[in-house]
Amino acid sequence: MSISKEIISIQNLHAAYKSNVVLKGISLSVRKNERWAVIGRNGTGKSTLIKAVASIIEPQSGKILVNGKDILSYNARSRARQIAYVPQKTDGVIPYTVYDYIMMGRYSAMDLFAVASQKDHSIVREVLALCNIAHLSDRIMSTLSGGELQRVLLAGAVAQNTPVLLLDEPTTYLDPAHERLFFHALSRVHYHQDLTVIMVTHDINIALSYCTHICGLLDGHVAFCGSSEDFKSKCPSILFELFGIQFHKYSSDENTATVFGAWGAECIQAK
Amino acid sequence: MYTGKIIPLKLTIISLLSLSALFFCPFIGITSFSLQEVISKEEFRFIFFQIRIPRTLAAFFTGGGLAVAGMVFQALFRNPLASPYTLGVSGGASLGAALCIAAGAGSSIMGISIISLGAIGGGVLSMVLIYGFLLSKESNSATLVLAGVVVSTVCSGLIMFIHQISPLHHAFQIMRWTMGGVDGINYQLLLIMLIPVLLFFLVVTILLPQLDQFMTGDDIAYTRGVNIRLSRNILISITALAVGFMVATCGPIGFVGIIAPHACRIIIPGVRHRMLALCSFLIGASFLTISDTIARVIAQPAEIPVGIITAIFGGPFFLIVLFRRKNRLMM
Repeated sequence: MSISKEIISIQNLHAAYKSNVVLKGISLSVRKNERWAVIGRNGTGKSTLIKAVASIIEPQSGKILVNGKDILSYNARSRARQIAYVPQKTDGVIPYTVYDYIMMGRYSAMDLFAVASQKDHSIVREVLALCNIAHLSDRIMSTLSGGELQRVLLAGAVAQNTPVLLLDEPTTYLDPAHERLFFHALSRVHYHQDLTVIMVTHDINIALSYCTHICGLLDGHVAFCGSSEDFKSKCPSILFELFGIQFHKYSSDENTATVFGAWGAECIQAK
Repeated sequence: MYTGKIIPLKLTIISLLSLSALFFCPFIGITSFSLQEVISKEEFRFIFFQIRIPRTLAAFFTGGGLAVAGMVFQALFRNPLASPYTLGVSGGASLGAALCIAAGAGSSIMGISIISLGAIGGGVLSMVLIYGFLLSKESNSATLVLAGVVVSTVCSGLIMFIHQISPLHHAFQIMRWTMGGVDGINYQLLLIMLIPVLLFFLVVTILLPQLDQFMTGDDIAYTRGVNIRLSRNILISITALAVGFMVATCGPIGFVGIIAPHACRIIIPGVRHRMLALCSFLIGASFLTISDTIARVIAQPAEIPVGIITAIFGGPFFLIVLFRRKNRLMM
């Protein structure tokens, strides 16, 4: 296996979002086809980090390089061909059909008048199948359930056909079944094509089972940065450091899977 | 559910409706006549070509223009209640006109009367105010409409104040102006209004894909490659300018900007802005054309300002939109 290329390089990033969440010097190197989970307490800057990489917010100082080029030097369209973004949830109602919404993800690849080509149609059909939402294709977005909507948002970003996909707590509002469907769809996508994923999540076990790497944030600093295996070997002490409560290791009887949980743990406000 | 297959049929019906409104309405009024009479009688020919045709065209394009302006505002601010009227653009334009009337401005510059320029200035100014509010911290689309209501209310308060302290003939002119109407429009006034309105249609047509993206939310639209700031600035300025010209020519005509896009969303749900813009234009255009015809004949021999007719029909519809929001099928 060849050493894969660095695709995103975050260098000493300082950024603020809504003037209260602050990143104080984040450095991170993400290579092609890696899947990163950004974890940490509320208000430590996870969403700020992902929004900075999506260039929704501008860094106060420091740099983000995408394919060796400063993210700020891309224009809107060429940036959209590199990075796609799935928000935690949408604000307001999206009044389009699922098919149209996903087609709109092809915007950066289309000409000025956004007329869909045969290729665009075939990509949309492919993405619909990949994300298991072909049956929803004629539905209007506002009639979907939360779990369906989240997979459609994912599909819209996948249709953008970018090497990098950013997910901001994509399954926070989903029930366990829809959460599984979401990650099933995502797994199929990155099995099918080259995809580097960075996602914010509060679910430690999702992070450990789905992602190859973990970035743990604490008060705007990187407290842990490394492979999931490395992280697992440091559990649960690293979890105590990150979240300030005691986690326990649980093993299931049927197989060797282990999960971490803080059930029944006392809340200790560790700084 | 999606109604993809009957969209062409519905669009055909809407097109036929608006074309027949455009064709038949000029024949109806305090004096009605047939096509034969227009051809044979000099007197009817004058009324038809010099009065009814420019008036009907003004109503048609103002109705369509306000409808498209409403659609643009609803998409830009992702708010179903946004329209030139609710965002205070019409109110600002009325205030500008009232000030000019009270100051006794009667002359004109390059064929545009000072009163019209006052209306255009007022409309653009109130849009700048609202936009400044939008760019300020902690504003969202709900507070935006509240800000629009505040601007409208303050403007109408000031108009009433000016109205009270003005001499009688100015006061009457102000009152008549703020009711809105397309009567007394000649070809010159029509042309002055049509140029910016057609420019507005052209810009909106080019930016329709961007409007689609705006409805998905700023973050998604931005990461999909829309230059949000640029598109929004272009759309807001050209829309405010076009609304200013329409209000300057026809007075503040309410509710068309809200009714038409929502009527389209009810008739053909789930369509993108390419279809929505066309359909909104046609519905807005035929709505105002028919309303103006009703205004001509409902209280003969007097004429009712068309703004009153649209308010009477539009108010209840506005309420229906508010109630229908609950089922989330619309925006």
